[in-house]
Amino acid sequence: MAAHEDQNASDLELVRRIKRGDEQGFREMVDRYHARVYSLAYGVLRNSEDAEEATQDAFLTLYRKIGTFDDSKKFFSWFYRVALNAAYSRARRRKPITTVSLEDYVPRYRDDGQASPEFAAFVDGAEDEAIARDLAEHAAEFMDELPPPYRDAIWMVDVEEMKPADVADVLEISLAALKSRLHRARLFVRQRLLEVAAAPPAGGGERRVAP
Amino acid sequence: MTHDAITCKRLILEYLVDYEDGAMPEDVRRDLEWHLEHCPPCLVFLKEYRATGRTLRMLKPKDVPKNLAEAVWGFVISRCRKEE
Ligand SMILES: [Zn+2]
Repeated sequence: MAAHEDQNASDLELVRRIKRGDEQGFREMVDRYHARVYSLAYGVLRNSEDAEEATQDAFLTLYRKIGTFDDSKKFFSWFYRVALNAAYSRARRRKPITTVSLEDYVPRYRDDGQASPEFAAFVDGAEDEAIARDLAEHAAEFMDELPPPYRDAIWMVDVEEMKPADVADVLEISLAALKSRLHRARLFVRQRLLEVAAAPPAGGGERRVAP
Repeated sequence: MTHDAITCKRLILEYLVDYEDGAMPEDVRRDLEWHLEHCPPCLVFLKEYRATGRTLRMLKPKDVPKNLAEAVWGFVISRCRKEE
């Protein structure tokens, strides 16, 4: 993972410059991270204006609090936590967070441990572009129903396509704990998508998945 | 490990994440694939799980707002210069 370490070394060099009060170093940090921070904030807020403001908040915190960052650690882990905090503090101002119990979304089994067969229009549907887009819109709403620790895990791994080990580092949990959260979150989204794919569309009539 | 050691429940709850992540010992992976070949419901489940992943990847914002970097830079520097 040499590329990874190079990235961190080069981040730390920028951090040192910012700590010295080098505005140009800060400018380079903004160029390097603004898109990633925005995307992370968008996952929490799902609205570009709020995500934009959260991005500004995150960089303001970076500029003010960089002195508290311990540079024996990975910079991106620290900064992603700052970014998540910035997004969640905006989310709290916007609306109360209501979340579901994930217990209901673990698949059910027969007594012999065999899964009851559930055949899904959704698997084929996800291959069709229009249906896939529709499903993705629903999936975006389902993300709001996940408890934040689960949403953070699934957003970073499955949407941002970050490595699970890096996400565990950001969230300050073990890799095993991250994978467990990730899996529960995926089971939840899967079940909700199945419900959507199986439900008739709002206008009535039977929902057809393109052949 | 015999093939019987992997039940549907264990496959789905304990092994699927590592299987998809590629982080699985070779022998366990072989047993798991044997199970998948012989258990249609689990194969369907795997396909659903993967379709879920494909759907989620579509949620990534396609582009950042124009001039976001400039806006961020301007916001932070104006705030901090005022404070100095
Ligand atoms: Zn099975």
